[in-house]
Amino acid sequence: MSQVMIADRVPTHELMTSGHLACPGCAAPLAMRLVLKALGPQTIVVMPASCWSIIAGPWPQSSLKVPLYHTAFETGAATASGVRAALDMQGDRDTTVMVWAGDGGTFDIGLQALSGAAERNEDILYCCYDNEAYMNTGVQRSSATPRGAWTSTTPASHPEASAKKDIVAVLAAHHIPYIATATVAYPVDLLEKVKKAKAIRGTRFLHILSPCPPGWKFPDEATIELARMAVACRVFPLLEIEDGVRWRFTMDDDTTEPLQPYLRCQGRFAHLTDEQIAQFQSDVTARWKWIERQVAASE
Amino acid sequence: MPERRVSPVAVSQTSTLVTKTGSWKYIRPLYQDRVAPCNAGCPVGIDIEGYMSLLREGRWDEARDLLLLENPLPATTGRVCHHPCETSCNRRQFDEPVSIHAVERMLGDYALEHPPSLTRAAERSEEVGIVGSGPAGLACAYHLARLGYGVTVFDAAPEPGGMLRLGIPEYRLPRRLLDGEIERIRALGVSFQCGVRIGQDVPWRSFLGLFDAVFVSTGAHLGKDLGLQKENVAGVRAGLAFLKAVNRGERPELGRRVVVVGGGNTAIDCARTAMRLGAETVVLYRRTSAEMPAIPDEIEEAEREGVQLVFLAAPVAFHAEDGRLRAVECVRMRLGDADASGRRRPIPVPDDRFTIEVDTVLSAIGENADLAGLPPELAVQESGVAADALGTTSRAGVFAGGDVTNAARTVADALGAGKRAAVGIDRYLRRLSDDGPNGTGLPALRFGNGNISMARWRDADPVHRINALNELVEFDDLNTSHFRRVRRRRDDRLSLAESRGGFAEVNLGLDHEDAVSEALRCFNCGVCNHCDLCLIFCPDVAISRRANGGGYDIALEYCKGCGVCAEECPRGALTLTREGL
Ligand SMILES: Cc1cc2nc3c(=O)[nH]c(=O)nc-3n(C[C@H](O)[C@H](O)[C@H](O)COP(=O)(O)OP(=O)(O)OC[C@H]3O[C@@H](n4cnc5c(N)ncnc54)[C@H](O)[C@@H]3O)c2cc1C
Ligand SMILES: Cc1ncc(C[n+]2csc(CCOP(=O)(O)OP(=O)(O)O)c2C)c(N)n1
Ligand code: SF4
Ligand code: SF4
Ligand code: SF4
Ligand code: SF4
Ligand SMILES: [Mg+2]
Repeated sequence: MSQVMIADRVPTHELMTSGHLACPGCAAPLAMRLVLKALGPQTIVVMPASCWSIIAGPWPQSSLKVPLYHTAFETGAATASGVRAALDMQGDRDTTVMVWAGDGGTFDIGLQALSGAAERNEDILYCCYDNEAYMNTGVQRSSATPRGAWTSTTPASHPEASAKKDIVAVLAAHHIPYIATATVAYPVDLLEKVKKAKAIRGTRFLHILSPCPPGWKFPDEATIELARMAVACRVFPLLEIEDGVRWRFTMDDDTTEPLQPYLRCQGRFAHLTDEQIAQFQSDVTARWKWIERQVAASE
Repeated sequence: MPERRVSPVAVSQTSTLVTKTGSWKYIRPLYQDRVAPCNAGCPVGIDIEGYMSLLREGRWDEARDLLLLENPLPATTGRVCHHPCETSCNRRQFDEPVSIHAVERMLGDYALEHPPSLTRAAERSEEVGIVGSGPAGLACAYHLARLGYGVTVFDAAPEPGGMLRLGIPEYRLPRRLLDGEIERIRALGVSFQCGVRIGQDVPWRSFLGLFDAVFVSTGAHLGKDLGLQKENVAGVRAGLAFLKAVNRGERPELGRRVVVVGGGNTAIDCARTAMRLGAETVVLYRRTSAEMPAIPDEIEEAEREGVQLVFLAAPVAFHAEDGRLRAVECVRMRLGDADASGRRRPIPVPDDRFTIEVDTVLSAIGENADLAGLPPELAVQESGVAADALGTTSRAGVFAGGDVTNAARTVADALGAGKRAAVGIDRYLRRLSDDGPNGTGLPALRFGNGNISMARWRDADPVHRINALNELVEFDDLNTSHFRRVRRRRDDRLSLAESRGGFAEVNLGLDHEDAVSEALRCFNCGVCNHCDLCLIFCPDVAISRRANGGGYDIALEYCKGCGVCAEECPRGALTLTREGL
């Protein structure tokens, strides 16, 4: 058929409820909702400070139907390691312990805890929903913020100067069993990766691009489209990495869209000149080529 | 007091469902079907998006019934309609239009092989007389019968069908299909009286007195003269009269070389028919191929069969010897400024003449309605009966439609006019008015800005559509990210040798598999197909499936109005409206 039908590939049960406090059109709750569909009810979520701490709802409410620990900003992976140890002591090997952290809590302040857990190959699933800045406190830049972006700490006159940290390469260097990237625009791809991750023991890392309408400055309804564009223009390649060495693309079509429209529809890039965009385009192409070499070396 | 255990850390006991985030929104999604542009572009007014959706689900009988609700002759239109629906098809802007005519043809043939039991509304006492059994008369009779009226159709010709039987050649429309479709109308209780010319065999005055309402659909059958000297010489014939003779089974002697003058369907049909009778055939047309009014596929087919097309040329004189045509002298033309019809006017280049030796000239430059044969005191406008959208004429109780009015001269337009007149007659006999109490105003009856919908008039939207909103789904309203490109299937053709050698049907349509593939290519613009994308993408879990497959509910007390669902809906079945409006 002409339409790509996904309905029967997305489980219907819901482990997240309405009434949560995400901004309209935020991809972060959608990412959680899809991930929990794949993990099922036997899951414990560990959550460092982030927008999601708010989305989960104020005490005594929760928008999740699974247990959720709020924890300190820098401690996601360490807390999860402890929860895992407690479950192991009870002989519970079936419950999945999942960290759900933002990019600030992953790329920056939580990185030492994550690196330690990865080095020990703790049996946890670490999900980073990446909205490319510290959104909950008002859009401060993080090391996940892409070069050229406006944030409240990198004003348009001095936009973000460094390239986005290559977090999957950092994790790959830890040789953990499974790393994947995903977006809400491709629910089936995301679900498959979570299911695969769930079945693996050891540290698993999922990097989910999560468009943020107020932080990126685009209309609420364009969330899915933005995620789709990020994949199509290769800013956010959909990948799997096994044991840190076997790299694989999970997109089956190799059409490439230019970077320009993706940047131009976001207010956070409004100040960029066409020359700057051309420069970023060559950065994107160079990284893609580098990944291609990793993929080729894996075959 | 019962002892309460206080946990050492704060533990949530309730869900966020207590927070009604719906109060945040200022726009809200509206889950309602809309109208596809193919439908609005079809002069018959067919719920194409609806029957395509049913076909996609394999619900063939319901698809057939939905098609037959609007179009009494789908096996016919699937073959001879110029299919403007495909020109409007949204898929044209994605890859290629859906081959709607081929799907309609398949479904029309299916309806003949698997006849439905057509419903009739409660019987009514009034009797309607219909003069002329072409597509306009047949459609009017069919719809009136389904609305419960007694209907009698009169025709001067020996058998019903109008131009479909008299003019259109057999190799384009096999008569057993036409017979089958007319039989279906007869089976509804419509009676036919053929071989009776009203106004001649029965005077109009007494005829009008026999019925509660009359529909005049006598078509346009008078050939136009070329206006040249020696036009009466043996060898110069009227093209339509020639086609009628062949369609009666005659095989007129044409000689070796035939020139057809004109550029419409009559001209192309004359040329292809003459060729089948063994003549070398040339078509002379005074403008270029771009302005030719004949159906493009037919022109292409004629060329494939060996008909020579000469553009920018017109006859100026006939040369005869011993009272028989020998040659036709022509002048070259060039195109000047656009005329009232928007086409560029042909202007003769005075000294640029040439002569073609010829045995027969067939003139096919158009037909006129026989205004002298109309009921008395019927107002005429330009060259046809003056009639409004519902066929109302200057005489109360007398309605008119099709080629006898000033409408576009196509089968689909005639079928559409017949349907509208049936609604007009129903309203007249039931004394309903435009702004009547039950939504009988015209715009509400239309498919978008297209033709009147019988489903709406009968308030019997039967199978599928969720209270379709009268708005068109434009290409920009679709989300094509969810579709893949799929090649459009081309109609099969009879081999050239077989085509030239007789009157067997040339266009074979699509085989079953390809026709189904075309139906599956359809975007189903405006018709929710329960693809679940809105539900899957809603960040607020506000969309849920209704029990037993009846569509979706949107929990407006939680929906934040982000618009993601409407943006992602592939087919415009969800739209955004301003909150509170
Ligand atoms: C050769 C040819 C090819 C064509 N090809 C196509 C095509 O491929 N696609 C397309 O869309 N259109 C085509 N057309 C146009 C199309 O056939 C007409 O537009 C359509 O048939 C008009 O329908 P109608 O019901 O108004 O009239 P008609 O089909 O002309 O029917 C009128 C009927 O009224 C009868 N009649 C007339 N006067 C009286 C009377 N006083 N008493 C009783 N009966 C009477 C006639 O005998 C006739 O049967 C073609 C036309 C011609 C001539
Ligand atoms: C140690 C510490 N520093 C600062 C904060 C304040 N704080 C709470 S959430 C947040 C931003 C989190 O950013 P990120 O991890 O990217 O998640 P996001 O809010 O963008 O989803 C900050 C700085 C904190 N809670 N703890
Ligand atoms: S009648 Fe003609 S315009 Fe209408 S759907 Fe059929 S082919 Fe298309
Ligand atoms: S895609 Fe289907 S519903 Fe849409 S305009 Fe074309 S035929 Fe009609
Ligand atoms: S996606 Fe959900 S929250 Fe957004 S407008 Fe649609 S129903 Fe409302
Ligand atoms: S997204 Fe799919 S299920 Fe939702 S309204 Fe549109 S067609 Fe229907
Ligand atoms: Mg962040």
